[in-house]
Amino acid sequence: MDNVRETVLEILSDLTGSDEIKANPDINLFETGLLDSMGTVQLLLELQAQLDVDAPVSEFDRTEWATPNKVVAKVESMQ
Amino acid sequence: MTISNIMTQIDRVAERYPQRICYQDGLQTYTYAQLKIESDRVAAFLQAQNLRQRAPVVVYGNQTFETVVTFLGAVKAGHAYIPVDSHSPKERLVQINEVAHPAAVLEVVDLPLELDGPQIIKQQALKQVRNQGSLTYDRQQSVTGDANFYIIFTSGTTGVPKGVQISHNNLLSFVNWMLADFNLYEGIRALSQASYAFDLSVMDLYPTLALGGTLVALDKAVTDNFKQLFATLPQLKLNEWVSTPSFIEICLLDPNFNQKNYPTLNRFLFCGEELTVKTASKLQAQFPDAEIYNTYGPTEATVAVTSVQITAALLKKYDRLPIGKAKADTQMYVVDETGQPLSTGENGELIITGPSVSKGYLNNPEKTKKAFFQVDTQQAYHSGDLGFIDDQGLIFYRGRTDFQVKMHGYRIELEDVDQNLLQLDLVKQASTVPCYNDMHKVTQLVAYIVPNANDYTDKLTLTKAIKMALGQAVMPYMIPQRLVYQDKLPLTINGKVDRKSLMAEVNQS
Repeated sequence: MDNVRETVLEILSDLTGSDEIKANPDINLFETGLLDSMGTVQLLLELQAQLDVDAPVSEFDRTEWATPNKVVAKVESMQ
Repeated sequence: MTISNIMTQIDRVAERYPQRICYQDGLQTYTYAQLKIESDRVAAFLQAQNLRQRAPVVVYGNQTFETVVTFLGAVKAGHAYIPVDSHSPKERLVQINEVAHPAAVLEVVDLPLELDGPQIIKQQALKQVRNQGSLTYDRQQSVTGDANFYIIFTSGTTGVPKGVQISHNNLLSFVNWMLADFNLYEGIRALSQASYAFDLSVMDLYPTLALGGTLVALDKAVTDNFKQLFATLPQLKLNEWVSTPSFIEICLLDPNFNQKNYPTLNRFLFCGEELTVKTASKLQAQFPDAEIYNTYGPTEATVAVTSVQITAALLKKYDRLPIGKAKADTQMYVVDETGQPLSTGENGELIITGPSVSKGYLNNPEKTKKAFFQVDTQQAYHSGDLGFIDDQGLIFYRGRTDFQVKMHGYRIELEDVDQNLLQLDLVKQASTVPCYNDMHKVTQLVAYIVPNANDYTDKLTLTKAIKMALGQAVMPYMIPQRLVYQDKLPLTINGKVDRKSLMAEVNQS
């Protein structure tokens, strides 16, 4: 489980170029502008490649993926 | 079909088919009769205001029918419009106001600040005009010929945006080409997703209205939330898709985005950045019967000047797709650093000459002189784009002569980002560089920064403070994703910041 968390945070840190992801995993990724639409696409592709998680883009609701912690929970629930 | 006047053509559609739908925004639809009546009212109102003759007006708006009405009203009254998106930061409005000296600002959406100089037409007043104003205006004053139709602001290297002046004749050349070469048809339903502050939107706006078609708006809030986006898209019953390649890449992630589920969608038009073989191939696989067009052009030459239909044969033949051939009324050639024409296959700067090339930048003779010149009697433009022309006459794009980049379709001058960073108290030196993926596309901007002495104890809060301050001045897409702090930046022999070495550092691996 911890491994998933680490991988997700690593992916997010890499995409946003921000250390804030790990320091403050409750930060809102969209409101702060850390993640835009294209960043979101990258995120979904990375989750698929690294964790074999297939999150359908058509089911992607921003509110459910708004913070690093929420992304981790979402990924864990899909594994 | 060839048209001779854009506004006359749209009015003609309204007279012939008053009940046809010109605009759809969610469940709300608007007819051509409404478009004509409301834009006539806006024109009559503006002509009664004693504005400076031919002076431009700012239209502060969003992805709505009211915004389009206001554009047309301004042009009918005899004023070029400057579209400013309500998602822009305040500072951009201030900068545009300073450069353009508009005679008026028309609020489709409430302004977020006070502006000095122009007459402000309040949102409420404008609404009242649209609903019950006088219909009579003087058509003799409407924008025609070489008078400016719209002015779109784009990134400038000094930190101040440049206003590209597009005349009625420029736009007419573009629209007639669209009507002739893209197999579009009367009554077509076209996606209107690109912000009206970007000239990509002109690719759907005027050709669709000239064809008596329907503009189907897709708001930024919907585009941003994928679940909503994919619930909305199939309901739009689109025929024609106009977007950046970046936006179609999002849509192609959904396996249900295909011909079976979108049976009416049969034209795809792309502009604004490189269309990759990968994206085009995937689109073709999901929409085997649709016509896909790649186009290219700078805002300075009115939206686009080259096109090519993407076929299976083309996708097989090339690793990087051609941008196509110049439109019939336009010539393109390639020159070296000294301006000497190069021959077939040789790489150099692309020069564009023809009737859709702008007269230049508004109130900026210096930058205009640098980028524009005349060939015989035709206006010509130094695109700053590198490329070559092959023996078939196909043109290929291969990068930039300067530090302008395209990210997700947005045009960004790296020097512009630097200049705005340098305005901040926290920043002593800054150099912004693009990070590319293996498809030659920019995925991130990285700013190397030498900070001034400050009270921030860690990089996180410093980064947050800098990004927030920068966000007050520039469009959101211009804010670098990554800030890297250094004690000093590498210099070239000439003592300038060595951007190329920083670019190499970011893009190693």
